[in-house]
Amino acid sequence: MIKALILGYGFLGKSLIKRLIIEPVPGLLIVGIANSKGYIYSSEGIKLKDLKDKLEENKEFETGRASDLISKDYVDLLIELTPTNIITGEPGLSHVKKAITQGIDVVTANKGPVVLALNELKKMADENGVIFRYEGTVGGGIPIFSLIDKCLRGDKVISIRGILNGTTNYILTRMHFEGLTFELALREAMMLGIAERNPTLDVEGIDTAIKIVILANSIIGLNKKLSDVKIRGITKITPEAISAAKENGMTIKLIGSIEDGELSVEPRLIRLNHPLCVHGTLNAINIRTSILKNLTLIGEGAGESTIASIINDIYDVITHKSASI
Amino acid sequence: MRVRLTLGLVDRPGTLLNVLEQIAIHGGNIISIIHNRDRITAGYVPVSINVEFPSIEQLEKAKIGIESIGVPVMEAETLEKKIETLLLIGSIDIDSTTEAIQMEGGKVVGLSLTGSPSSACLKLIVETPLEKRQRLIKSLETLAESQGSLLIREEES
Repeated sequence: MIKALILGYGFLGKSLIKRLIIEPVPGLLIVGIANSKGYIYSSEGIKLKDLKDKLEENKEFETGRASDLISKDYVDLLIELTPTNIITGEPGLSHVKKAITQGIDVVTANKGPVVLALNELKKMADENGVIFRYEGTVGGGIPIFSLIDKCLRGDKVISIRGILNGTTNYILTRMHFEGLTFELALREAMMLGIAERNPTLDVEGIDTAIKIVILANSIIGLNKKLSDVKIRGITKITPEAISAAKENGMTIKLIGSIEDGELSVEPRLIRLNHPLCVHGTLNAINIRTSILKNLTLIGEGAGESTIASIINDIYDVITHKSASI
Repeated sequence: MRVRLTLGLVDRPGTLLNVLEQIAIHGGNIISIIHNRDRITAGYVPVSINVEFPSIEQLEKAKIGIESIGVPVMEAETLEKKIETLLLIGSIDIDSTTEAIQMEGGKVVGLSLTGSPSSACLKLIVETPLEKRQRLIKSLETLAESQGSLLIREEES
């Protein structure tokens, strides 16, 4: 059995546990669950069905630093789902580094550590012989890294572009179909819980830029930082601009792209029949490769769909470990 | 890249053959040749040759080669052009925008303006020789930034 610790008991942590109750992953035993206040731990495995919504309300709850559980004595796998911090990467970055140096495999959906230190973390993982997976950081449930890793061996990705933020895509979709102003569409997205209370990272294009950096470094093998991305958000888009686009059979979408080593995020005019032109909260990623040429993937880019990526990463760890025994 | 070379040829046997040799040496693939014998000017026969070159560098080398054998290259016009829609949102100076497009070798083939003066939307349909497009977009982006407006270009298909 692979003993796993889930660090982060927010939306993703809770959704993952709900999913594991419905469909357990064979060979996986959750021995620890932690939030910022403390943790619960059982070497025999936690009874997920009995878990209370507030971690602190469980009688096994211990206050203290959850990172103390990141030890080979307790766990084989760290599932790191703490909130993203794009400035320092913390606390996720320290968690991931500690796990890797202890020989613990890591699965994460936390963009902070991956955008700030992907190449360093991959190198550390190689040196320590551990598996490090981060599929959930980009495109939610779209299996972009696994697809390239496993299905396009021998091919070379030349460029990547896509709609990588569901919130901005929802806003632009509502502006296109309903003629709403940016402000009204944003307010609607916030009321529906699609946009966060502070939507700056989304509407200013920063969230898309983070994902573009991760794609560039992971898939094209670059060594880019967030400051290398030319970023323009969608706050200046007006209903008049959307109407002008519509007259020509187009709309406006926030597109992130990696072309000739240049990274950019900006609103672009896009034909309504373009493969990347998806609506609502959908994401779409288009890759151009040497052999396959063009491939477009479409899927839900956030929320519970991310759990599909996390679970697949967990399966990956278990498969690797069983193969190496 | 496909170009139309307009050359001034002396009406003497063998001159055209020497020109074609220079084009071939530099990887050019000849599509068509038009010999304007009825438009002889100062002893020169204007000849238009449509050629496909592998790159702009090869074209430049071919031009030097042709001139080195005493044949003037009167014009080298790109035949591949991109027609695209561009939007400018915000505070816009139409004159300086269209001027910038012309300066970079583009041509405005359509224009419409909507919105209020402080929040205008200018839609432009622009025709640009393919090799000049990137520079034109960069120049318009710089202009948009200085005007405090936002340039939105078309996503490639």
